[in-house]
Amino acid sequence: MKTPEFQGTHLFDRLCWAKENLDSVQSDYRVVYEDSVDECAKILVPDPNWMACALQGGILPPVWVYWELAKDEAQPDFKKHTRGYLLHNTEPVEAMTEEQAIEYLIMKDCPQHVWRDWDSGNKPKLVICRKEQLPATREWRNAWKISEDLATDKTVAA
Amino acid sequence: MALGKIKADTLEHSTSGSVDTKFVVEGSFKTYARCVADGTSITKSFNISSLADTGTALQTLTLTNAMSDANYPGVATSGDSSCNMAVDSHATTTYRLVSNNNAGSLTDSITQSGLLGDVA
Repeated sequence: MKTPEFQGTHLFDRLCWAKENLDSVQSDYRVVYEDSVDECAKILVPDPNWMACALQGGILPPVWVYWELAKDEAQPDFKKHTRGYLLHNTEPVEAMTEEQAIEYLIMKDCPQHVWRDWDSGNKPKLVICRKEQLPATREWRNAWKISEDLATDKTVAA
Repeated sequence: MALGKIKADTLEHSTSGSVDTKFVVEGSFKTYARCVADGTSITKSFNISSLADTGTALQTLTLTNAMSDANYPGVATSGDSSCNMAVDSHATTTYRLVSNNNAGSLTDSITQSGLLGDVA
């Protein structure tokens, strides 16, 4: 199905169109990340409807739009968004592959300090894996950490 | 975009009075999600980009279309009758769900949630 010309259409209306017209896509990819040394590893799960929009193209705004809104919200005098038009009027991104969509999602939904220097420490702060690679049970969930055995040396295959 | 559109500020019934469509628009869910108890998948959703399993009984949902401000009402229920659930933190693009059992301990359970108010 061809995506209508959506630039200038409210993002919420685009999502309504997508919900009506696109089949959801359950991704097997998961993103494990640590954003604090004092907290357990977190696991990011892509939403099936969002993934359908990403694969379809022409619906979602570029990821920098979300960064701009996050900057606004971080201001101490923030009350409400006044630049929501960026979501609606910016040219939507083209169709992505599932892998590109996961990269986009990391940059949208993971804290920036995690993905900007994900491999700068002794172990990666972020790992993309398959669902079946996660622990099979929830035992000791609040103690889960990314393994220190994972190499951050880019010359070594992980 | 070729979508039909009705524009009206008021809906009026012949005998039962009228309602400002603002209440209809603001009073409809702008996002909803039902997620499995262990946070590994989203069963049903709208206007959600991801679910983050952030620990036992803690799930954070991120929106595709942000809310206009962070003071929106959020509702949450557990799919398990022995658990209570709350939306315990709000931002315009994320909200966190926490699930407790009747003894007050954090316990994983099926999460069902939605947000009302205005989108950005």
